[in-house]
Amino acid sequence: MSGNSRLQLLHQHLSIKPHRCVATDSRASQFGEPTIVSVDVGSKYSATYRKYAADDTGKILSYFHDVPLGFDASKKTANMVVEVPRWSNAKFEISTELDGNPIVQDVKNNVVRFVRNLFPYHGYIHNYGAFPQTWEDNTTKHKDTGLYGDNDPLDVCEIGSNVLEIGTVKRVKILGCLALIDDGELDWKVIVIDVEDELAPQLNSIEDVESVCPGLLEGTRQWFRDYKLADKKPHNKFAFNGRYLLAEEALEVVGECHSAWEKLIGGEVKSKGDEISLRNTTQKETPEYAPEFSQEELISPAMPDTAIPPEISKSHFFPRS
Amino acid sequence: MSYAPRQIGAANTFDYKVYIEKNGQPVSPFHDIPLYANEEKTILNMIVEVPRWTNAKLEISKEQKLNPIIQDTKKGKLRFVRNCFPHHGYIHNYGAFPQTWEDPNVTHPETKAKGDNDPLDVCEIGEAVATVGEVKQVKVLGVMALLDEGETDWKIIVIDVNDPLASKLNDIEDVETHLPGLLRATNEWFRIYKIPDGKPENQFAFSGECKNKKYAEEIISECAEAWDKLIKGEAADSKGISLENTTILNSASYSPAVASEIPAASPLPPAPIDKSIDKWFFIAGAH
Repeated sequence: MSGNSRLQLLHQHLSIKPHRCVATDSRASQFGEPTIVSVDVGSKYSATYRKYAADDTGKILSYFHDVPLGFDASKKTANMVVEVPRWSNAKFEISTELDGNPIVQDVKNNVVRFVRNLFPYHGYIHNYGAFPQTWEDNTTKHKDTGLYGDNDPLDVCEIGSNVLEIGTVKRVKILGCLALIDDGELDWKVIVIDVEDELAPQLNSIEDVESVCPGLLEGTRQWFRDYKLADKKPHNKFAFNGRYLLAEEALEVVGECHSAWEKLIGGEVKSKGDEISLRNTTQKETPEYAPEFSQEELISPAMPDTAIPPEISKSHFFPRS
Repeated sequence: MSYAPRQIGAANTFDYKVYIEKNGQPVSPFHDIPLYANEEKTILNMIVEVPRWTNAKLEISKEQKLNPIIQDTKKGKLRFVRNCFPHHGYIHNYGAFPQTWEDPNVTHPETKAKGDNDPLDVCEIGEAVATVGEVKQVKVLGVMALLDEGETDWKIIVIDVNDPLASKLNDIEDVETHLPGLLRATNEWFRIYKIPDGKPENQFAFSGECKNKKYAEEIISECAEAWDKLIKGEAADSKGISLENTTILNSASYSPAVASEIPAASPLPPAPIDKSIDKWFFIAGAH
């Protein structure tokens, strides 16, 4: 497809977020995250919704495989894809199955999923998302926990001051992590802060989070333990007795999940169970590489938002245990 | 009864006003809407000022004719409440009872503090998020006595009579049974909500205990009597409150013609709220 017709298509669908002007490098901001815009398809809060990543020329990218992780262990930084803005309920996530790996709303029994409000919390309590180019390997037992991964990109909780927008890519600093066990699978939650946040200079470790944001770590643990109670499911459990792992340990987890993804995309390891789309436009030596996605195949018009059902605003109460 | 909001301007701006209409005619939510919605006085009208999970400090204007809901300002800036972790904005549908007044000329015998010169505040705890200017029918469950910067500022706890839980909630102890943790969170919220603005923690009378329905009903009666004196011009000092109304025939400020001075509806989409309002404040030792 020519650059021109691609841009024309984009004019119809693109929601370009305001970005800083960067004089020296048009592909990255001064903080090092790539310039990613997003393209909406279908109606938000319905099963038709897809949000694709695109670069600044309008070329569609996979959120899973093409958006770079940009992992810098010495600075403790990496790129994060924002899936769910703080204080909202719709369970948006990178689709591992669809080509182009757009952000979609999770569907269960043909109904789009929303998390319940677990009093006193409103929706998600972090800007929630994932690290691109990472994979929680569901074929190999984790060395310390003995558990298999959940077959998804690594989950991230951003704790900064701003409410971040769905589909944006943020440079974040890694502070620690929590080892959630979800239906018997390992489901790490990495705690990070946007490097541009006003609190970022004060936060370099999990101990700093406790002193600068008192109550947040305990609230986070409680939220992940209890958030499915309203769906009549049991408490979630944690490995390491619910202890937060330190920033250094979290960096190791990110590194491991990035290596697992490299094996996955390279065809060395195959996911067990659910089919993962490995199609990509940037990993040239991999089996599923092609220079670009067919925009005609992926892109259809954006539609107005679907109304969120009123029962989603209900708060659910459970005695504190 | 068919009440409806009449919006002027955009939310989150100085121009924003929400008047209340009855059958298309502007009325005062302070003076014209009856406090009790049934003869038995078991159902009350509540004016919603602030929907749950929002931050703009909207309140019934005491100064403007027919008392529209406007956003409070301080030092020339619009006021927003801060988010104190783990809370987001207001944790209830917040509002006021019409035809009530916390008389600042009178010291309450039990709290030993004077009224705060406002209509009586109401926290509605139902599951639906309300809208600005909505007139709800509610039942009374209890009351907390906040001492806000030295003034008595009662917070009446109510639930919308149409809420699925309403039939199960009949007094304050039912709230803890069906909504465990809510009263404790309410207490915490009102104690700490001004700390991010550099103010001290608020205090509660009665050691923070929530008083029962009967006590709340007595407070409501007292505040209804205080309003009655106010509207009849019998208060020791009416504090510059606009008393114009369209229904209280025996009041000096009865002036049905004032409704025609109220501008026509001109709603605009909400203005963006400054990003700084999204910040979460973490208060050590709050919980």
